[in-house]
Amino acid sequence: MENPNKPTPVVNEWARPFWEGTRQHKLLIQQCKECGAYIFYPRMCCPECFSQDIAWVESSGRGTLYSFTIVENNPPSAFLQDLPYVVAIVKLEEGVQMLTNIVDWQSTTLRCDMPVVVTFEKLNEEFTLPKFRPV
Amino acid sequence: MSNLRGKFAIIGTGEVPTGRFPEKAAIHHAIESARRAIVDAGIKKEDIDFVMPTAALYSPQFNTELVTCRIIEELGLKNARTNCQIFAGGSSGSCFLKLGGSLIVSGVAQCVLCVHADRLGTGVTAQGGIDLFSTAGISPEWEVPFGQHYSSIAALATTRYQYETGCTDEELAAVCVSNRKWAELNPNARFRTPLTIEEVLSSKMLSTPLRAKESNMLFDGGSALILTSADRAKDLCQKPVYFLGEGSRVTHFVFSQEPDITRYGWREAAKDAFTEAELTPQDIDVAEIYDSYPIYQVIGFEEVGFCERGEAGAMHLRGDTWPGGKIPTTTNGGMLSQGHTGAGGGVALLVEAARQLMGKAGDRQVPGARFALETGTGGTYMDAHVSILGSEIP
Repeated sequence: MENPNKPTPVVNEWARPFWEGTRQHKLLIQQCKECGAYIFYPRMCCPECFSQDIAWVESSGRGTLYSFTIVENNPPSAFLQDLPYVVAIVKLEEGVQMLTNIVDWQSTTLRCDMPVVVTFEKLNEEFTLPKFRPV
Repeated sequence: MSNLRGKFAIIGTGEVPTGRFPEKAAIHHAIESARRAIVDAGIKKEDIDFVMPTAALYSPQFNTELVTCRIIEELGLKNARTNCQIFAGGSSGSCFLKLGGSLIVSGVAQCVLCVHADRLGTGVTAQGGIDLFSTAGISPEWEVPFGQHYSSIAALATTRYQYETGCTDEELAAVCVSNRKWAELNPNARFRTPLTIEEVLSSKMLSTPLRAKESNMLFDGGSALILTSADRAKDLCQKPVYFLGEGSRVTHFVFSQEPDITRYGWREAAKDAFTEAELTPQDIDVAEIYDSYPIYQVIGFEEVGFCERGEAGAMHLRGDTWPGGKIPTTTNGGMLSQGHTGAGGGVALLVEAARQLMGKAGDRQVPGARFALETGTGGTYMDAHVSILGSEIP
């Protein structure tokens, strides 16, 4: 569902590998090579130990639903056509959190802490967004 | 925590009504709020030597005028030596206090005018307001592309909080009812007709479980306060409002990075503030809790220590926070009923705390109020600021 009016991510250049990864349907996060911390969103240096020695690793893509909401009315105008849609915070197995949308949710009763798995949705030629669906 | 306890005071406040005033320029609200604060303090305008406007969001042009000394020229503040904007979103009021107080105690300033004005009710369209607040403070890389906006943020916090505590929809709606009971008594509030739980729960669903009447609305408005040293305050003012303590924490920029969206940094911030003030939550007579949505008033109320976690909703439902209740809370009606004016939502709560302690709160006056607690939070609830004020230094 390509839509020229949808806001596209305003990318920081050190985060480009993340967006390159989603285009290839891989969920890449960072891991600090000094302290081992998993990092999301991508940083220039480790927010735990300040190291700049950071590697990209592929997440399992599995996580749990920390919280969610079904947006039914008054969204940002670019999302009016999507109503209702689900905004969620997912906690990945690696321990990091990210904002996302839940897809294929209509036949499920969403609840906090339920398991979810990543899926990828093409926004346009440049961007593919990581989304999640109930397991 | 600071070493400012008892060293400076609020000596005057000013406020204009919150609402939609298409005929009034934003600068009107700034000038009139500041003029009223100077008159309320009983000082000469020449006594002001430092002007501290906070930011306006509706127009970069108007905000630039605030930065470039328009208030000083319009009011003829001939002895003002510095004009410097202080902005931390909804925490701007709390920052007025600690930064203005620091300038006074250090000797940089003698008398500080803090002022807010904005025009979010008539300066932007309703959808424009939603669009502004779907980007302001929301990460354009990690959240905006997913349709995140302020209602969905409040809804995410509410969903998780209800899951962890069992707080009901009815208890959250009771926050709106409680604040409305205060707004009914506030001539500057936008919404002054009685509100029921049923009306809140039957209003349009925005983002589950958040309903339309649980959302703040944006309006025009302005408010101001005057700070000076405690020593000068005693000479100038019958009932100065002394600064007694503060605490704050920053816990995120991107909302989804918040480690605990049901707590934030309130507990630690409040602990610092109470330690500095040498008071406990049981000493507080009036609580001005930041309320842009019911969930934040509930979380703030319990995390600063007025009750155990999970109990705040029931207290709002049974009237403990209402006029005449055990702990009068958000007594101007808050952003939910007085109306949200941008950075001014938090400034208005600070102004209300001072009015209560000065005995100038009209029909809302909490009899004999000696100690007040005020909270502020900005952006997507990125920070937690707690300030404690008193009509005496205990």
